[in-house]
Order: sequence, then structure tokens, then C-alpha cells
Amino acid sequence: MTAKGLPVWLMLAEMALLVVAGPLITGVIQKVKARLQSREGAGVLQPYRDLAKLFRKGTVQSDSASGFFRAVPVLVLAATTAAAALVPVLRAGPPAFPLGDALMLLGLLALARFLTAVGALDAGGAFGGMGASREMMVAPLIEPVLMMVVFSSAIFAGTTELRALAAYRGAWTSWIVAWRAADFLGFAAMLVLLPAETGRIPVDNPDTHLELTMLHEGMLLEHSGPGLGCMLLASHTRQIVTLGLVSALFFPVGHTGATGGIGLLAGAGAFALEISLLALFLALVESSYAKLRLFRVPPYLGVGFACALTALALRIL
Amino acid sequence: MSPEVVQTIIDDLGALLLFTMILILAAGQIYRAIYAVATQSFLIAVAGAVLATATGNPDLWVIAGVTLTVKTMVLPFVLHRVVQRLNVRREVEPVIPVGATLAIAVVVVVMSFQLSATLGSVHQAITGNALPVGISLTLLGVLVMATGQTALTQMVGLFASENGIFFTAMAVTQGMPLIIEIGVILDVILAALVMAIMVLRVRSTVDADIADLDELRG
Repeated sequence: MTAKGLPVWLMLAEMALLVVAGPLITGVIQKVKARLQSREGAGVLQPYRDLAKLFRKGTVQSDSASGFFRAVPVLVLAATTAAAALVPVLRAGPPAFPLGDALMLLGLLALARFLTAVGALDAGGAFGGMGASREMMVAPLIEPVLMMVVFSSAIFAGTTELRALAAYRGAWTSWIVAWRAADFLGFAAMLVLLPAETGRIPVDNPDTHLELTMLHEGMLLEHSGPGLGCMLLASHTRQIVTLGLVSALFFPVGHTGATGGIGLLAGAGAFALEISLLALFLALVESSYAKLRLFRVPPYLGVGFACALTALALRIL
Repeated sequence: MSPEVVQTIIDDLGALLLFTMILILAAGQIYRAIYAVATQSFLIAVAGAVLATATGNPDLWVIAGVTLTVKTMVLPFVLHRVVQRLNVRREVEPVIPVGATLAIAVVVVVMSFQLSATLGSVHQAITGNALPVGISLTLLGVLVMATGQTALTQMVGLFASENGIFFTAMAVTQGMPLIIEIGVILDVILAALVMAIMVLRVRSTVDADIADLDELRG
């Protein structure tokens, strides 16, 4: 490893930044949705207040839950937070110490998803089991496609390390001109997958607790107090990590490579801009589409699959 | 514009054309398929304009203009009117499920790229990836025609097929003679009008659709 790579403290700082900023993105999306529905809506800081409230409360859990159930929220939060360390925020470039690459990131997110489902089954609630089975039906449709989108970019750059990949793309000053045919299709696939991966309409509905429609929320029903707080914080973090993955793969505009404090600030500003644009896209999609029936979800995700596979084919052939 | 830039733009447009084709294949409602095919024709017109500036061939400007007016505005408008007159809200389920259709689509795209890679000299005479993209669009248009249950879906498939042929023809280095392109466009307009009238007439006289016509009664 060369000494010129990104220092580890910077990566840990980026991780902390993502975890702290995660609820804010959710707040912004909810605010935009409320405005689009002509409501005033809660402030953008509402998710923080919810978290603070939950962490002050006591825990109640079902008698049938095992000891593992109590560990699930912490493990889920830990896996998601570890994934956050792999996303470039402030600066791109090969790291001094390899923490992990994009495949590791997707693996950690899959692990968090698996633990959530196991926890839901463990508590023995009917809704938890239903939510888990639905989530496990949708997950195998999302994860391989995300993997293919990552590969279609990685083949081009010759690395799956996200920071190095972002730096490779950031080498051009004009990124849209540098987009190749496969990038358009890969980005299209990503836009199709984004609502599914972040658990939003048209695949899942984050606002409802109606038993027939829940995927992710159904699995959280048995958790309470600090445990629920951890699960919510994990899902906020998961959302911002996914958005960060998209921005690292397709728009690393802000990663200027400038050194010093100004470079870091510029990187942070550009990252915030990109994430806000993607959040706006999510809010618009959520406001303009209805939730799909569960059995309509596979054809919808199939569009993403076809786009991703075509992108990969364009890159290879 | 340098040849490399033109090639990049044509490749990018080809990717977007494939994307619109995937949307047509997956469209649950006929409205979406119509919008997707209109977008596809618009992209074809853009490709025509790009190639016209690159080669300085005035025929291509004419073709791009005709594509823009006829295929992105008039024909989708006609289809839209037919949909409104028929008052169909949603499409009948295709013969094979959407997931299988998309899988077939990916296979077709990969095979046409593989095929065009083996056609060395032909491939060189055509800018960028226009040949494989054109082949895929044509075949997938046929797929839409084969699997759609309503006459409207089949019309959309015909337009998509025709777009594929057009895209390849434009990107041939020398360009196709103008008279042939105009002839093809006229054919498509006539086909669309005849089909539109047929669909409306059949619906108004016997109240049946293509899907109901697969059984012979003696």
C-alpha cells in the first residue's frame, strides 16, 4: 500500500458523517412528499426527534423471543454502519488501508437484511413472518441486479473498490460526456432499483402499517424502544449508503482530488447536492406512483434486471 | 464533429433506444408503450440529425425531420386517439409473462451483439453499435407483435421494428437513398391508418379483439 492513499481516519469520519446525515435525508424526503401533497408536514429534523424519543424508552418484547432477538437491532445497525465506511463522501482515491469494496458493501447490506428477517421470524409474530417472507422474495431480485450494475462500472475502471472507482471516473472534468453507452443503461437500472432498495413506493411503503402492504415495516413490529431506534437508524443509514453508492458509481462530480480543507469541503458540498437530487427523485416517484401489488413487483424489477444485463453486455461485447 | 464523437453519440443513443425497447416490452398499460415508442422515434430523429451534421448529407436532415413529425407526433397521436375511442384502460395479459419476455429480450440483445461482431466488413461500414442495436430493435418489435394480444400492441411493435430498420439504415456510411426512406415512412403511415380504422371498425361492428379471434367457428 502506498502512503499516498486516503488515511483511515478520513474514512471513519465519512462513516460517521453518513450515519449522522442519514435521518436528515429521510426527513427531507418526507418534507418534500408532504409539500407535494399540499401539507405542511413535519420538520426535516423529525426523524432525529423520533430516534431520541425511542432511545429514551424502555423495551418490551414477546415471551416467545429468544435472547438472539435482543441482539438483532445492534447487529443490523453494526452491519449497516460498517457498509457506510465503504462509500466515498469527502474525497475519492485509492485508500491507504483497504477496508472493503463494493461487493463487501452489498454483502453487508444483505447481511443486515438477513438479520432483520431472522429477528422478525424469531419473535414469532404473524406480521413479522409475513414481512420477512415478502422481503426475502424481493431481496433476491434486487441484490444480483445491484451487483451487475456495480460490475458494469467496475469492468470499465478495473476495480471494485468504490473510492478508486469514483476517482477513476472523477479523472474527467466533464462527466456526462465521459458517459459511455453502458452507463446510461446502468443508471436506468439503478433508478428502477432505487425505490426497491430503499424500501419505498412502488415496491414498499414506508409510511403505512397496514398489514397487507408492509414489507420492511412488518419486520420491525416486534421491536420497541432502543431496539426499534437502532432498526430505524439502520434503515436511514441503509438509504443514504445506497444513494452514496449510486453517486459513487455514476456522478463522482465533486471528488475534485484537491487536497486540504477546501477539497474536503467541496467534496462534501457536491456529495450533499448529489444525494439531495436523488432524494428528490425518490420523493417525486413516491408522490406520483401507487404501490404495486406484490406479484407485480417481479416484472417491475425485471426491467431493472434487463437494463443491467444489457449494460453489462454492452460493456463486454 | 470527429468520427469518434459521432460514434460515441450513436452508441449512447443506441443504449437509450434499447432502454425504451425494454420499457415497451414491460409496459403494463398501452399508454406507456405508446409514450415509449414516441420517445424511441424521437431518439431516432436525434440520431438522424447527428449523422446529418457529421456527414453533411442533406437527405438525412429530411429523414430526421420526417421522423420527428410523423413518428414522434402524428402516429402516437393517432394511436392515442384509437385508445381513447376504444376506451381500453389496461392491456390484456401478454401471451407469455413479462419476466419471460424480458429474459428473451436480453438473450436477443446479446445474440445480436455477438452476431454483428462476427460480421466484420459489414460492421465496419456502419457507425458504432447501430447494427446490433438495429437488429435487436427489429427482432424485439416482432416479439412485441407476437406476444401482444391487442391490435394496438401489435401496432406499437410494428413501429418499434421499423425504428430498428431505420436506425441501421441511417448509420450506414453512405446513407440510404431518400426515396426508399420516404417510401418506408409512407408504408408505415398507411399501415397505421389501415390498422387504426380496422381496429375501430371491428370493435364497433362485432365488439371483439384480436385475442377473441383465435377460435374458428364452423
